[in-house]
Amino acid sequence: MRRLALAVTFAAIVGRVLPAQVSFERLLRAVNEPQNWLTYNGNLQSTHYSRLSQIKQENVATLNLKWVWQAQSLEKFEATPLVVDGVMYVTEPRNKVVAIDTRTGRPFWIYQYPMPETTYVCCGNVNRGLAILDNTLFVGTLDAHLVAIDAATGRKKWDTQVAEYTQGYAVTVAPLVVKDKVVVGPAGGERGIAGFLAAFDAQTGREVWRFNTTAHPGEAGNETWAGDSWKTGGGSVWVTGSYDADLNLVYWGTGNPGPDWNPAVRQGANLYTDSVVALDADTGKLKWYYQFTPNDEWDFDSVQVPVLADLSWKGKLRKTMLWGNRNGFFYVLDRMSGEFLLGKPFVKQTWSSGIDESGKPIKAPGKSPSVGGTDTYPGVQGGTNWYSPAFSPRTGLYYLTAWEDYHTTYFQWDQNYEPGKPFTGGAARAPFQSLLRDPFIKWGPEWGYGVVRALNTATGEKVWDYKMRDVSDGGILTTASDLLFSGNREGYFFALDAKTGKELWKCYLGSQVAAAPITYTVDGAQYVSIAAGNSLFTFGLGRTGEVHH
Amino acid sequence: MLVKKVRFLGALCCFGIAVLAGQDRSNVIRNPFSAADDIAAGERSFRSQCAACHGFDASGAAGPSLTTGVFRHGNSDEALFAVISKGVPGTPMVGFKLEGREVWQLISFLRSANIAKGASHAPGDPVRGAQVFNDNGCAQCHTAGKPGGFAGPDLTEIGSRRTLAQLENALTDPDAEVDPDYWSLRARTKTGQMISGIRMNEDTDSFQILESSGRLRSVWKVDLASYEIVRTSPMPSFKGKLKASDLEDLVAYLAGLRAQTNHEVQQ
Repeated sequence: MRRLALAVTFAAIVGRVLPAQVSFERLLRAVNEPQNWLTYNGNLQSTHYSRLSQIKQENVATLNLKWVWQAQSLEKFEATPLVVDGVMYVTEPRNKVVAIDTRTGRPFWIYQYPMPETTYVCCGNVNRGLAILDNTLFVGTLDAHLVAIDAATGRKKWDTQVAEYTQGYAVTVAPLVVKDKVVVGPAGGERGIAGFLAAFDAQTGREVWRFNTTAHPGEAGNETWAGDSWKTGGGSVWVTGSYDADLNLVYWGTGNPGPDWNPAVRQGANLYTDSVVALDADTGKLKWYYQFTPNDEWDFDSVQVPVLADLSWKGKLRKTMLWGNRNGFFYVLDRMSGEFLLGKPFVKQTWSSGIDESGKPIKAPGKSPSVGGTDTYPGVQGGTNWYSPAFSPRTGLYYLTAWEDYHTTYFQWDQNYEPGKPFTGGAARAPFQSLLRDPFIKWGPEWGYGVVRALNTATGEKVWDYKMRDVSDGGILTTASDLLFSGNREGYFFALDAKTGKELWKCYLGSQVAAAPITYTVDGAQYVSIAAGNSLFTFGLGRTGEVHH
Repeated sequence: MLVKKVRFLGALCCFGIAVLAGQDRSNVIRNPFSAADDIAAGERSFRSQCAACHGFDASGAAGPSLTTGVFRHGNSDEALFAVISKGVPGTPMVGFKLEGREVWQLISFLRSANIAKGASHAPGDPVRGAQVFNDNGCAQCHTAGKPGGFAGPDLTEIGSRRTLAQLENALTDPDAEVDPDYWSLRARTKTGQMISGIRMNEDTDSFQILESSGRLRSVWKVDLASYEIVRTSPMPSFKGKLKASDLEDLVAYLAGLRAQTNHEVQQ
């Protein structure tokens, strides 16, 4: 009888009325609970800024390793974790989700998604992270599904197909929760997909709305595609967007048009590739768009994180959006209307001779990809790429990881589309190029270099640089103690003075950082976590190790 | 003998073609060695080559069970051929240098060992069994396809993992075999606080538990005055509580809850 009572009690509590862990109200006010890291970019404005200040300029040099989580995968670890009330949730490549105790580094559970034998994903078996709403986690998969998982037990709640993976679609982006919906879209810009953003009901997984990033016939923008070229026009979605609750708008960056390097077969601006789109969160209807690179010829995905900041602009407070683009320009847009406010190169670029007053770039002559190859700045990985930037309301600076003096030879040729297979219409040849680095650094200085760069948001001018020998895929975190954390391909994880760029601390982690750091507190103590190589490292003040006696 | 050689060459050619065909899913190769004597030969090979890790009856030991009908690294014959002959990097599963025919026969044996095939022999009525499941409140603790409770094991694919006899035993004698995933911790801290929850993880110094509130937490052993790991099931026995026919129907329903993947098992 007692056993039955126990079973019934447990069922009643665990099975039916799990406490709502993360309401959407909490996500809206994520900056007010810096002990947690509730969304991919820390808050829905995607500032990657934390109000924590316990780790500060005076003590950052005493940071020590607290624990390490070793992924059971040798794929590239690009995920940004979430931290919810003491529990860290992180994805491991090829679609595992792990719940880890932030106090001890020990696992609570691992969810393994059953993957098909063959995936058709371009550019690595990666996953960038999760979203949470109430007690449910959401993760995309390499076979283009969206899966809901119970946060307490790691069990699947529902599983929805987002797109057909054998056609080259995959979901690598960390989903974004907006109200009662989960928004994702497919990667596959090098596979001839027709991209979209879609919102799914968080309770059931049912699709609620869809916005096509290559405008279909009957949709505004379809006239910017020659013939049927929209059908294989790319417009992939693989980095998480942002949300403005006052405007009820979801902002999202879109990927390159396809085929990447042969614009002749898709004449026109190719809307809405290489753009930021502002969508009504309830309906998915387009409110405005801004296209950074019309009829792109260089694979300049505009998947970067839209950073939302309210700035004084020429004496007037404006709701702006800050955007360091893969095409090498830094932009400030009005996020209510999409009005172009500023566009200025932040790295050396040669593809454009400037941006006209309306915000349209002027292509420089002779820089198109060609049969014999055309050398152009920035190179194929861009002036920046998917790495999370940061904005500090304290310093007023925008921080990004940039590749300076970096160029690539771009080739173009005709290519027939075959479902699920590469569809690039050319190739890019960098002087030395490997996304997954072995332990040896042989990068030549003439090929460019990586910087953490701080930009003045009013002018786009550089304020300071932290220069690295190699290029970097590290995301950026800033804090209320004016610290900036990032990592790089060399394997360093480091802390800088956010006001000056001065290096205050660094730790060699033994393999490349291709993820963004996060910060949170554990029993009142501030921690910083970063993925590097195949592991996730957590640092805090005080000693390393445990004493159990 | 000649016939067998021709079949073997054919098999090699088929595999070669499949490799060349790469991602063309329409080009499915068929196992050319799937007759009864091939299954028997495969079973003999299994005992000598595989059983040390995967268990005498393929139901798992140090290595995973191979009787669920779902294979972690691919369900097609082609994928199984690759796993057996090349291994799985990062795991103790090494590639085995076997003749192609022997690999095909092993695959035939594994197909025959699929536990889910037992469902068709269940004497009960699975539709009535679903009603028995609902009437007895099983969903309060168990998920079975559609979301249910989380206190007990997820039964969505239980028919792929348990034989009819195992299912019946679990209902009539739930304490006989409780998966360590469902052992629980009952503890008293040095400050007198009582702690209990499902034991998610345990090492020398700590427990990680899921409390009944749904909270995940760690407990240091050094902070505990006493603790016990409860290995009995909180599930009541249904022995004598269900009519024999209801029990049969319930077993038939559970046996029919099979593993499904996004990816068809290619027969």
